[in-house]
Amino acid sequence: MSWLVVARKDFEDSIRSRWLQGLTVLFVGLVSLFAAISLRLPTGGQTLTTNDFLSGGFIGLLSGTLVPLIALVIAYSAVTGERESGSLKILLSLPHSRADVVFGKVAGRAAALSAAIGVGFIVPAVILAVGPLELDILTYIGYTLLVALLVSVFVAIAVGWSAAAPSQRIALGGAIGLYFVFVPFWDLIQLPLQIALTSLPEWVPVSATAISNGLLLSNPNAAFQFLTNELLQGQFLSGEMASLQLAAVSMLLFWLLAAPLAGLLLFKRRDL
Amino acid sequence: MSAIQLSSVTKRFGDVVAVHELDLTVESGEIYGFLGPNGAGKSTTINMLLDFVRPTDGTVEVLGESVETAGSGLRERIGVLPEGFDVYSRLSGRKHIEFAIESKAVDDDPDEILDRVGLTEAADRNAGGYSKGMRQRLALGMALVGEPELLILDEPSSGLDPNGAKEMREIVEAEANRGATVFFSSHVLGQVEAVCDRVGILNDGELVTEDSIEGLRAASDSEATLILTVDDATDDDLDGVRGLAGVSGAAVDGTTVTVACESDAKTEVISTLSGAGIEIQDIETESTSLEELFLSYTDGEGVAETEGNTAGSAQDEPADMEAGQ
Repeated sequence: MSWLVVARKDFEDSIRSRWLQGLTVLFVGLVSLFAAISLRLPTGGQTLTTNDFLSGGFIGLLSGTLVPLIALVIAYSAVTGERESGSLKILLSLPHSRADVVFGKVAGRAAALSAAIGVGFIVPAVILAVGPLELDILTYIGYTLLVALLVSVFVAIAVGWSAAAPSQRIALGGAIGLYFVFVPFWDLIQLPLQIALTSLPEWVPVSATAISNGLLLSNPNAAFQFLTNELLQGQFLSGEMASLQLAAVSMLLFWLLAAPLAGLLLFKRRDL
Repeated sequence: MSAIQLSSVTKRFGDVVAVHELDLTVESGEIYGFLGPNGAGKSTTINMLLDFVRPTDGTVEVLGESVETAGSGLRERIGVLPEGFDVYSRLSGRKHIEFAIESKAVDDDPDEILDRVGLTEAADRNAGGYSKGMRQRLALGMALVGEPELLILDEPSSGLDPNGAKEMREIVEAEANRGATVFFSSHVLGQVEAVCDRVGILNDGELVTEDSIEGLRAASDSEATLILTVDDATDDDLDGVRGLAGVSGAAVDGTTVTVACESDAKTEVISTLSGAGIEIQDIETESTSLEELFLSYTDGEGVAETEGNTAGSAQDEPADMEAGQ
């Protein structure tokens, strides 16, 4: 299992990265800050749970904007950076294939960032638990795991892109582009898209809702928002939208594998 | 079985031909020195051996397997010190060695390897703080993991002080005694001549010569340059000397006469000059060093041409040889 060896090394290397440490601190800080603030909000006599905290909008916004950003920042140079510095030569001098390198890096960095996300959610959980909020532990863990899945998907996209990019500069430019496509741009086109879809001609064999859903869920970020909403409403992978949720999960898993694979195909043919 | 076999390998980068129809065979168990100036195509050749770079044409076999189809398993049998590599600055030296051990799935003792390459004291420091020489030692240590059948070392002595270069040679010899084949490149002949069984000289992407060190030495030893201080001589006075067997050239500059000839012909040269009425006040002999021979190959000029240029070969500046043509 050569890729596992690469993954372990990449994990150890990544967790020592100042960038990763700094972004983790920022993430923990923001989530904790919000947790602390939410303790002071008037509850109107009701007993609030951590689900209310998570669905308060702020955490969703934080996950949807900061998590992809962190993943892209940490992973865009995974392959190009090593190719330019020359450490990739050390890696490929050892019995690792280029596939081992790409998938090992996805696994290593995704694990490092998931660990950071885990820390980011444990600290506020403690703050919330000692406060008046009731801890819905299962949902809370589920939410954290979904965030970890989201970060892993963006790591996979960034590493795949990094493997495909011919230089560090292009890798950086592309990573910025990817962020804008997946985060603000996708939301911006939703409304005009919905309007356009209402006047769909008769001959189109699929319904407007199906197209809209397909486009929405093909963005990992939107798929994540959808899944977390369902989770917080207590109907994760069940209820009316169960099949759509499955589609969203499949889409996330598709990105997780397809992005590095596509990058690998280009990387394999390239001279170091 | 040959350890390395390149058959009419060509590598082009755009319009630039880095390696041109190279045939090269390294036999199992030998220490092969791959010489050439910077930019000759040595690293490109080595990168093709490792499948870092794919040949435009020709086939590359390492340990009997085609590198293109062999997959990563082939590298379990090879130890590599690449050129232009970098370490993982956030990981310690020990972590690097441990990573190589895990990667090769062997159970070497990291401390033993660190000791062999002289990094015991620095083992737990982050490799980012290592000097160039220490990084070189670390990469060598990683290459030594798992007792590889073949060691491919690209400019192993770069960044090392003379003492470090000596230790490097000792390790190369120890590995060869263990039975490993060692293939290493260098642009400095001195690092190669002490250890190599065979030397190949690459220039402009082509192998210009390939011989044992003894063979190269024999070629250089048979050549000598006589530098004579005389009372007075004209160019015409040297005609007799030029006609002698074994003399490849003669020139005069004021009171200095320079004659390039085979070592055996020296006495004949001196007596011929005396016979022409020239008074010889001082005699100096210079043998062509291996280094000069190497330079003559890599300047794109054969030994024969250097012989013909007497004034040039008396100096040690290769540029003069070209100018004198």
